[in-house]
Amino acid sequence: MWSKQWKSVVGLEIHAQINTESKLFSGAENKFGGPTNTQVSLFDAAFPGTLPVLNKGCVEAGVLTALALRCTVNKVSKFDRKHYFYADLPAGYQITQQRQPLAVKGYVDYCISDKNNFQTKTANITQIQLEQDSGKSLHDEKDKISLIDLNRCGTGLMEIVTEPDFSDGTDASAFVKELQKILQTIQTCDCKMEEGSLRVDANISVHKPGERLGVRTEVKNLNSIKSVSKAISFEVKRQIELLENGGVVENETRSFDTEIDETVPMRDKEVKTDYRFMPEPNLPPLHLFDNESVKTVASKISVINIDDIQQKLPPLPEDTRKRLEQQYCLKRRDVAVLVDNSGLVDYFEEVMRLSPTTNAKLVSNFIINQLLGVLNDKKFTIHNCPVTTDDFGRLIDLVQTEEISYSTSYKVLDEMFEHPNITPEDIVEQKDWRQISDTQVLTNICEKVLEEHPKIIAKYRKGKLKYLHTLVNKAVIDSNNKGNPRILKQIMEDLLDNK
Amino acid sequence: MLSLTLKEAVHKLRDGSITAKDLCEKCIERLNKTQQLNAFITETVDISRDSAAKTDRKRQKSKPMRWRKLEGLPIAVKDNFCTTGIRTSCSTAMLQNYIPPYTATVVQRLQDEGAYLIGKTNMDEFAMGSGSVDGIYGPVRNPWNYKFTSAHLENQQTKPIEQVNMRNYHTSTEDWHIAGGSSGGSAAAVASGVCFGALGSDTGGSTRNPAAYCGVVGFKPTYGMLSRHGLIPLVNSMDVPALFSKTVDDASILFNVMAGHDVHDSTTVTDEFNHFTLSDNISIKDLHIGIPKEYHTPGLSKDVHNAWVEAADMFEKAGSKVTQVSLPHTQYSILCYIVLNCCEVASNMARYDGIEFGHRATNEDSTEELYAATRHEGFNDVVRGRILAGNYFLLRQNYEKYFAKAMKIRRLISEDFKKVFASGVDVLLTPTTLTAAPTYKWFTERDNRTASEEQDIFTQPVNMAGVPAITVPSKLSDDGLPIGLQFIGQNFKDKELLTIAKWYEQQVQFKQLDLDYLDNVS
Amino acid sequence: MQFTKLTCRLWFQRVSRHNKDFCSKVPKTPKWEEVDHTRIPNVPHIDQEMINHLERVSLVEFNNQAGIERLSKAIESANKLHMVNTDGIEPMESVLEDRMLYLREDKVTDGRCKQEVLSNAVKTIEDYFVAPPGNIPLKTKERDYGSNSKGS
Repeated sequence: MWSKQWKSVVGLEIHAQINTESKLFSGAENKFGGPTNTQVSLFDAAFPGTLPVLNKGCVEAGVLTALALRCTVNKVSKFDRKHYFYADLPAGYQITQQRQPLAVKGYVDYCISDKNNFQTKTANITQIQLEQDSGKSLHDEKDKISLIDLNRCGTGLMEIVTEPDFSDGTDASAFVKELQKILQTIQTCDCKMEEGSLRVDANISVHKPGERLGVRTEVKNLNSIKSVSKAISFEVKRQIELLENGGVVENETRSFDTEIDETVPMRDKEVKTDYRFMPEPNLPPLHLFDNESVKTVASKISVINIDDIQQKLPPLPEDTRKRLEQQYCLKRRDVAVLVDNSGLVDYFEEVMRLSPTTNAKLVSNFIINQLLGVLNDKKFTIHNCPVTTDDFGRLIDLVQTEEISYSTSYKVLDEMFEHPNITPEDIVEQKDWRQISDTQVLTNICEKVLEEHPKIIAKYRKGKLKYLHTLVNKAVIDSNNKGNPRILKQIMEDLLDNK
Repeated sequence: MLSLTLKEAVHKLRDGSITAKDLCEKCIERLNKTQQLNAFITETVDISRDSAAKTDRKRQKSKPMRWRKLEGLPIAVKDNFCTTGIRTSCSTAMLQNYIPPYTATVVQRLQDEGAYLIGKTNMDEFAMGSGSVDGIYGPVRNPWNYKFTSAHLENQQTKPIEQVNMRNYHTSTEDWHIAGGSSGGSAAAVASGVCFGALGSDTGGSTRNPAAYCGVVGFKPTYGMLSRHGLIPLVNSMDVPALFSKTVDDASILFNVMAGHDVHDSTTVTDEFNHFTLSDNISIKDLHIGIPKEYHTPGLSKDVHNAWVEAADMFEKAGSKVTQVSLPHTQYSILCYIVLNCCEVASNMARYDGIEFGHRATNEDSTEELYAATRHEGFNDVVRGRILAGNYFLLRQNYEKYFAKAMKIRRLISEDFKKVFASGVDVLLTPTTLTAAPTYKWFTERDNRTASEEQDIFTQPVNMAGVPAITVPSKLSDDGLPIGLQFIGQNFKDKELLTIAKWYEQQVQFKQLDLDYLDNVS
Repeated sequence: MQFTKLTCRLWFQRVSRHNKDFCSKVPKTPKWEEVDHTRIPNVPHIDQEMINHLERVSLVEFNNQAGIERLSKAIESANKLHMVNTDGIEPMESVLEDRMLYLREDKVTDGRCKQEVLSNAVKTIEDYFVAPPGNIPLKTKERDYGSNSKGS
């Protein structure tokens, strides 16, 4: 397999639209889907003589995001112009922060979880910078024109640049999912990739272990988690095949064609541009403060205190995971699923609150392995789950006290969905699903099974221990599936040992 | 009436000794009689008449309405300030049909205090130049020593709003003098009596230079005092809206109406602006004047040098302390300016592509082709040259060598000023220009860049440091042309600077240009 | 002793101010330093590759030999900057670098002015601005920037 001979290295640049009322440097509205060119100020359209004025809300969102990603916030940051010509960029330059960005050097802990693999990783953040988004062009191939809508032009973006810490598409997409959760928790970006409020560019290269990093290509504008995963996987494969056939990887920009699931050279391919960065002369440096330095400032009009914003930071997904691990002694893998699915943590904790003596591991297992599946099948979400946390807790209690068997609990849960007004105890009563735990009754059943299957006993005696389970299963069947399997096993073992 | 100062005119309007209508008609008549100066690109005569009429009606109202500070006063505005609904061309083909949908803050503030616009004045294309000769509407002529012929004065009427593109303007054989630049039109407008005050812009001397050549006061306030919102930029980090007037008091009045923080311009200071009026009794006994020795440059004319000496000596004899000081990096300032200017121009001009506004070429093969054709047709050689040079200096491999280097030297120049002021100097006294106004013929023998290098030598270090400066007419040269002297002050000490300039003005009693004889020509 | 010296000096200064042979503080002769031209870096030759590159990033043509010479002259002037020692000096990007940057409250105060935004566009279609297809690089023409300079 090629994966043993080659290593792939991926770095990401994520553009997240800042969730503010107005744009980064103008007071025009920042909303998805407005009528053409109605959310455009004269500055956004680059009318001569107009000037940028920085939105305090965008800076605060940037700082909050930087703190959530454990970055160092620069007390002084500067703005630059990045020059290139494109029809959706009226000024001929984008205002960004190339030299001295808002924040640097952070990290994100996240989990990669698929069927075969679960691991926790840390990705390093190089920097976070504030910059303008561009307008949108609609290409009309027939008439050979582009129609330009500047509604999006000037919207605030946070560009989050990572180190090349990802090994493949699965890794990178897991990170992007975690980033989405973080940004949605702190509400600085709605992360609706389908609306374009979160876009990912990936830098991808391959090399043989021990050798230098290969030439990288950039794949731009990935606008779904699936695309991130598929595009990177395809590109890695493409580069490896190219190199194995004696070809050379070009340092180019590509895009991802979702119809054929392949990366393709960008239609607007250009020779590498020199952006001729220049300090933005209309914006003096941005100074940020903390509790110490804020004392030196006379007027508080344009003052942002990083420490104040730190106080406002809510618990992040990783904080919640760590807390659940510690508080309930749950495994990382299970905690990851709970946090991953919106609303599950709240449901779980409510169950635990209502019945604190219930085993937390049992509750989480049930939620993950049973409830999620049933919700899915019956087209519910946890937010409109017909089974109350109270009833769910009682169901778990029935299992914990061995009133019902584990397998019966599935049937009870099903019934609870159909008849949410009936308690689990009543359902068990009505359906006569109570487990038999009476030792005498169960002993009789076991003895009967042993009498009827001497050959199996013989095989067991020869050392094939699995036949114990066969015997126990037969006893379970004979008990109309109501025999307590744990006790049956115990009795069966005793009987076999003593015979 | 037109030889009144702004202060006097405002006074007379207020007390009713002249009507706004009379004043307006006089100004329009003078405008017609001085057409060949070519000071105006767009004349807003109808707006002027309407505003004047409104002012006069105010007086007739039974309920007293607020009589604003500049009620009924005609002013001219350089054609790089946006004015709603009125073509703003920057004297370039690129914007010859541009009608801004908004008004520059400083213009709005003047209008809010009752002033009205008599016209948009002529300039160098995009403010690039020191002669006001490089615009598409032809050069501005200096009214001093200008031979107004009666043939020109007959049959003069107001130019229609639609101007003919005069890019292929042919020079006449007359030996007239340039008005200076790039705000030459505004300077000529005030000097010729068409209006009482005018706005210009000053990036490297674009107001002080023509003010000196045209014998009027030219005031460049501290960078950050006046809003640039609506001023189509040349060099954002140096541009300042600036004022032309007949007297220092007039400049002070206009400045006080316009100054103060603007939420639309992040480079205006947020400090509260304390309005002031200049005292009439000024003492300069405790004053310390600095004479920067490096301002005696090669090429300084005898006339200007003499005026400088006389002024320095006048202050000293009147009791000020006058010392020679040093601004060691002066001779590098213009070179530094060239680099920073070209780079900002390259950047600021990137928006002219024909898509949202301005001239649009007809080549629609691709975005690149359209942009290139639009920019070729829209810009003159000077503009194109600066864009190319600026992009050269900003290339990745050149950035440190040129742009960063120039910014470091900018700091050194700024430090030069700071050190001198910190040593106790209140104000610096220097020439404004190397010579009095040259002839058009002499000036156009040089290319734009060389001309700018020479003409801006005393004025643009001021823009590097952001400090305020003012030129005051001192005397006439042997040829009868005005010579201006420059006072340079400390950052945000505009009031102190104006006060000292006013004292000097009171001493020299410079006789303004008098074109009243034109009124007698039918 | 110090006091007497000071008084003498002050008296002397007062006298000399009123003296007819009073010494002006304005220098009599030009005071510029001689520039050592050998220390100024040479202007590099502007080759075709550079011409193409600059024209592409500027979307402006040199047009003729005079245009290229204009650039050379500008570089020549700029090269003189290397005469100045700037070791340890920070670039000055803005004279307001020590001031607080004004921050605007996050409110919608602008936009909703579609007519004005479109008012100066030569071409619009149904409220959109119109551009040709992009980005197709400019055809690199073989330009002869020979001595026969065209008019601009």
